Amino acid sequence: MSTPGPERVPSTVKVDKTSGQGKPPAKSAGAKSAGARSGTRPGARPQGKGGKGRKPTAPVTVKGSRNWGPIAVAGVVVLIAVGIIGYGVFASIKGTESWQDKAAGIEGVVNYRAQNNPAINAQDHKEGPLTYVTNPPVGGAHNARWQNCMGDVYAQPIANEHAVHSLEHGAVWVTYKQGLAADQVAKLQEKVQGRDYMLMSPIANLDKNISLQAWGYQLKVDNADDKRIDQFIQALRLNASLEPNAACSSGNTSTGPLQAAAPPAGN
Amino acid sequence: MTVSTESTAPAEADANDTTPAGRHRFGAAWLAAVLVFGLLVGLAIGLLGPRLTTPGDDSVEAGFLRDMSTHHAQAVEMSMIAHAGSTDPEVISLSADIALTQHGQIGYMQAWLRDWHLSPTASTPPMTWMKDSAGSVQNGLMPGMATPAQLADLRKATGKALDVQYLTLMRQHHLGGIHMAQEILEESDNADVTWLAESQVRNQQGEINLIDSMLKKIQAT
Repeated sequence: MSTPGPERVPSTVKVDKTSGQGKPPAKSAGAKSAGARSGTRPGARPQGKGGKGRKPTAPVTVKGSRNWGPIAVAGVVVLIAVGIIGYGVFASIKGTESWQDKAAGIEGVVNYRAQNNPAINAQDHKEGPLTYVTNPPVGGAHNARWQNCMGDVYAQPIANEHAVHSLEHGAVWVTYKQGLAADQVAKLQEKVQGRDYMLMSPIANLDKNISLQAWGYQLKVDNADDKRIDQFIQALRLNASLEPNAACSSGNTSTGPLQAAAPPAGN
Repeated sequence: MTVSTESTAPAEADANDTTPAGRHRFGAAWLAAVLVFGLLVGLAIGLLGPRLTTPGDDSVEAGFLRDMSTHHAQAVEMSMIAHAGSTDPEVISLSADIALTQHGQIGYMQAWLRDWHLSPTASTPPMTWMKDSAGSVQNGLMPGMATPAQLADLRKATGKALDVQYLTLMRQHHLGGIHMAQEILEESDNADVTWLAESQVRNQQGEINLIDSMLKKIQAT
């Protein structure tokens, strides 16, 4: 193992074949097959002719019917290698936990995608007022226009039909019970303003103070200081998009219920 | 299978056949083990290498790409408003150029974050990656970004007012963007990121010159 084969060949082959390291030309085939079956090596030492006494220990390990030593060594080596790779894969996967796992790790988050509800999964564009199975909605058919979600903070309720389209584009929609204390609203606003793929609006009949929506996900909390708000935004903003690189700009910027006619361009 | 044990010279004849073979077998096992080990180590390096050599979650590169994505998105927003509302051919053309270019660049930046297995958005406030950036963010807005009130005015504006407002806001926006891009050029040697940032500095500087000449022309009318 330690010396290049060719150099050893002469001594191996011609001398007394006891140190047959590097393929003795003629004999190799037969020797190999023989050896494969009878892994025994009687005193392999007699060479001493500058043939470099190979590893005195090696023969000792070989005594049984099978050459377990090398097999064990190889096994250990493979185990170590597999361990290294296993650890590497584990570490890299752990370091990049998927956003789905991050979302699932947030206490109280509801994953509506897992329910496979056709009414929530629908992505059709439909005109006119639409009804949704959750309040606030987390997905489903929606208006062709999305609500502008460039960190827009709407002081009045907005149309669900537009907001759901924003969710489809990857926005996180922060909603709060209309009449929520101003300092709570201000804290929410700080999380939204200046950030694209975020929008915020009050909702009249909300069962909790605050509700966060991404497409197919919802989290309801009572307080704007709740740490889970940031976790929800971090996990789902943009990640929850069903249309990679769809924009949040060029959307509807007016508030109030859905308007019958299409709003004027550039609005 | 057992041929002999610790036999010596006398067994020569017989042993001659088995001896080299036995060695061979030992050597072959070792060789196989080393080969397998080498392959596995190579595989491990191949798998882990990219992870270790691409920027991490709190790198300046990731911070820049996330913030510049948001910064660009507002340029797209303003340009689309101007593109839809302006009647000046030069403004219509420039706004299309800016909107398409910057939206395309957002795609580059987001794709790199995705390649690096990083979140598309930051968990820290804007501009955190930039040195001495304290105070540069106002109401969540990075340098050069228009305020919600300015955007609302822009949406309402028409004619010459729209053109002037758009060009003025865009000029300011580019100055802020160039500032950020110059900073990443100083702090990063990532080939992709610096390639994009360098082009941003060069092209936006060129557009500022164009905007200045356009503003002069429009305001003279």
